[in-house]
Amino acid sequence: MEFNFDPVLQSWRFLLDGLRVTLILSGGVALCSFIFGTLVGLARRYGPEWLRVILVFYIDSMRAIPVLVVLVWVYFALPAITGWNLPPFWSALFALSFHLAAYVAEVIRAGIESVRPGQVRAGLALGMSGPQIVRMIVLPQAIVRMMPAFGSLLSLAIKDTAIAAVIAVPELMRRADAVAGQSYAPVEVFSTVMIIYFLIIFPVTRAVDMVYKRIAFLGRS
Amino acid sequence: MNLDWSIIPASAGALARGALITIALTVLTMTIAVPCGIGVAMLRESKFRPVAFLATCFVELFRNLPIILVVYWAFYVMPVVFGIAFSPFITGLVALSLNNTAYNSETFRSGIKSIRKGQTEAALALGMSEGQAFRQIVLPQAWRRVLPVLATTWVTLFKDTSLVSVIAVGDLAHTAMQIRSQSFRVIEMLTAMAAIYWLLGYPQAKIADWIHKKFGVTE
Repeated sequence: MEFNFDPVLQSWRFLLDGLRVTLILSGGVALCSFIFGTLVGLARRYGPEWLRVILVFYIDSMRAIPVLVVLVWVYFALPAITGWNLPPFWSALFALSFHLAAYVAEVIRAGIESVRPGQVRAGLALGMSGPQIVRMIVLPQAIVRMMPAFGSLLSLAIKDTAIAAVIAVPELMRRADAVAGQSYAPVEVFSTVMIIYFLIIFPVTRAVDMVYKRIAFLGRS
Repeated sequence: MNLDWSIIPASAGALARGALITIALTVLTMTIAVPCGIGVAMLRESKFRPVAFLATCFVELFRNLPIILVVYWAFYVMPVVFGIAFSPFITGLVALSLNNTAYNSETFRSGIKSIRKGQTEAALALGMSEGQAFRQIVLPQAWRRVLPVLATTWVTLFKDTSLVSVIAVGDLAHTAMQIRSQSFRVIEMLTAMAAIYWLLGYPQAKIADWIHKKFGVTE
């Protein structure tokens, strides 16, 4: 077996630019899904009954439908229905965030429910209002306990961006496929890209673990 | 916009075949990945350091890669390494199994580790052998902690099987996308694909929730 890494070296700028797109998309997905998912999670816990029914349906649906299916639906079917033509990058950002936000909402809910009801009652007994209790008692503890779950969702966000290659977002995975196709050296190209992905995702999961170990005591009660 | 939903009943047979392949992939992958996961978990706890290190490398590598990339990689690397061509189905099965073996091994390892040492020590004090203590004391308790996680992994795996469609495995996603590009009924076909995944995946997610409630350990 002979390996030829020249195609990888020759197109390193092209691949590096793909890495840039991957990182921007990952950051965007992480941010958007965090904001949207937090709103959904809070609304599901504290919102009116009719809203909860809708949100539970949304969350459970996203848990049942593959992200690839959401992605191609948003990119191919949504423009045909609404008439808006989103470029691939924005479609991917929207679809991946919409899918991941359901998971964020579940993490938020589980974190909030992990705070014992006695604490809320204690807050009420001290004369605090509902929003005050959520802000000052429930969330500070819940957020710390949610950290490990958010860490795995962050690495999931990066992994999910590779699926955006299917709708031709020019990120790392897509460009690797292009280079592999032109160079007839797919083994070398995909192995290199595998290492790059590992080098991004592995430190992220590790860093979250380390930070959590430092602050885990804040979430104890 | 004119919708023509007659394409769905017309291609019902092909879609059903695709759904069957999706289900078969899920079941086969789990059948492979559960015993392999237990094996890798035991290798990781091996007293022989190089073996434990290699097992750790395997787990950390495949846990930290996008599955779609592993699918492509297996598609190109397997024929080179083994010198023969594999069908897309086998390639997809290998890629999904590699990934899920890594996840499952972590599940089993943390499940077994979550049982306090005192339990094993108490069993040993009662005169049980190491093997007896593991089989009769640790495993029955670890099982309750492992099962809910396995249920979640199952649902995730069911969804991830859609990613092997990129190497033309005839699963539900690939079949639906094929029909879409031949018939140009984009909205109808993609909506039907999402609906079928929903119909199949929703009960699985609900069963996973039920297993969490039934077996979940609260401390």
